[in-house]
Amino acid sequence: MLSSAKHKINHSAFSVSSSSLPNSHSQAKKNMAQVTMEEVWKEINLASLQQHRQLNIDHEPMLSSQNPNNSIFKDFLNKPLNQEPPPPPSSSSTLHRSLLPPPETVLSLNPHSINTHFDESGRFGCFGKKRGQDSDESRGDRRHRRMIKNRESAARSRARKQECIYKRVGACNISLAEGKCKTQETRRAVENGGSNSTPDKEKTSKVLDSSILRKRPNSWRREAGEHLYIISLS
Amino acid sequence: MSLSPRDPLVVGRVVGDVVDPFMRLISLKVAYGQRQITNGMDLRSSQVLNKPTVEIGGDDLRNFYTLVMVDPDVPSPSNPYLREYLHWLVTDIPATTGTAFGNELVCYENPCPTSGIHRVALMLFRQLGRQTVYAPQWRQRFNTREFAENYNLGLPVAAVYFNCQRENGCGGRRTS
Repeated sequence: MLSSAKHKINHSAFSVSSSSLPNSHSQAKKNMAQVTMEEVWKEINLASLQQHRQLNIDHEPMLSSQNPNNSIFKDFLNKPLNQEPPPPPSSSSTLHRSLLPPPETVLSLNPHSINTHFDESGRFGCFGKKRGQDSDESRGDRRHRRMIKNRESAARSRARKQECIYKRVGACNISLAEGKCKTQETRRAVENGGSNSTPDKEKTSKVLDSSILRKRPNSWRREAGEHLYIISLS
Repeated sequence: MSLSPRDPLVVGRVVGDVVDPFMRLISLKVAYGQRQITNGMDLRSSQVLNKPTVEIGGDDLRNFYTLVMVDPDVPSPSNPYLREYLHWLVTDIPATTGTAFGNELVCYENPCPTSGIHRVALMLFRQLGRQTVYAPQWRQRFNTREFAENYNLGLPVAAVYFNCQRENGCGGRRTS
């Protein structure tokens, strides 16, 4: 996570210095508090989005040379702590160099305050959570009940759909039995006592059930009609 | 003929929620205006404002029948705690005639569901004799099975049901 974050910064910088300085910094960071760092970077990303919205900054100005000291980003990083002054950037003008020292300082000096701050910012950033949380159990119960009710409603809906299908199949069967079909074979089958046509009816119904029940109302009504038309012709 | 598992009354769970499985013995034709009711038909509350015309079959004018019209999905199909609601009760209907010749014990109240799609079932029972059935005190929490048992009506001889919802769609989900 840390190395990937590092890579991101390196890619975004327009002038990449291939010195070993950033690498040593990253290793130092890794050694110091890897888990905390991950959290920190995660929350920075979250908070940075908000901050950028507020300050109307996107990533481009950070990279520009208008502000060689990149004081905006530095200020942002140092803002939550309010404890140590922003370290003056070293004489480098590259982005990643100026980015690196503040996090290190932040980490080293006061890890507890960082954690607490970022907990708050995390909560602030999580817009989906409700305030005044109920217990987990009641939430789970409610969701479970809602799910069951949805399933019952879906079952009722399927039952209504199924009836409509059966009605249409029944109407088709009646018309077949009355000899209203067009081809001779079917007429002969009907005259033979319907023994041939019965398995067809069953098959038809099954085919209609399985394939059509899965579809949306308009499409299955059309399809059921087409099916029945084809059957009546065959 | 006994009910097949594909019968709309079974698929729509009218047989099950309202009555027990029965055999269709006589014909029952219900029509709202020009519209004849078939099982599972979709109607809106505006289409069922006035009482329907009901014609029953049978042979002998000396047989009397009771027509019960209930809504088992009150107040909402997902939470029917007022099951069932009695909309209409007509007794002493002679065979081969209609409800016009019967005794309207509970006057027709048009179904107007507020939430969800309700089934409205009309069931016909054969009476043992004339003037043997009395009206219940309330419309809601009616139990067709108990009612039939109390007045020795037995199983229905005919039934039909339709789906009814409010005018502008089914009313969506209400928080329960």
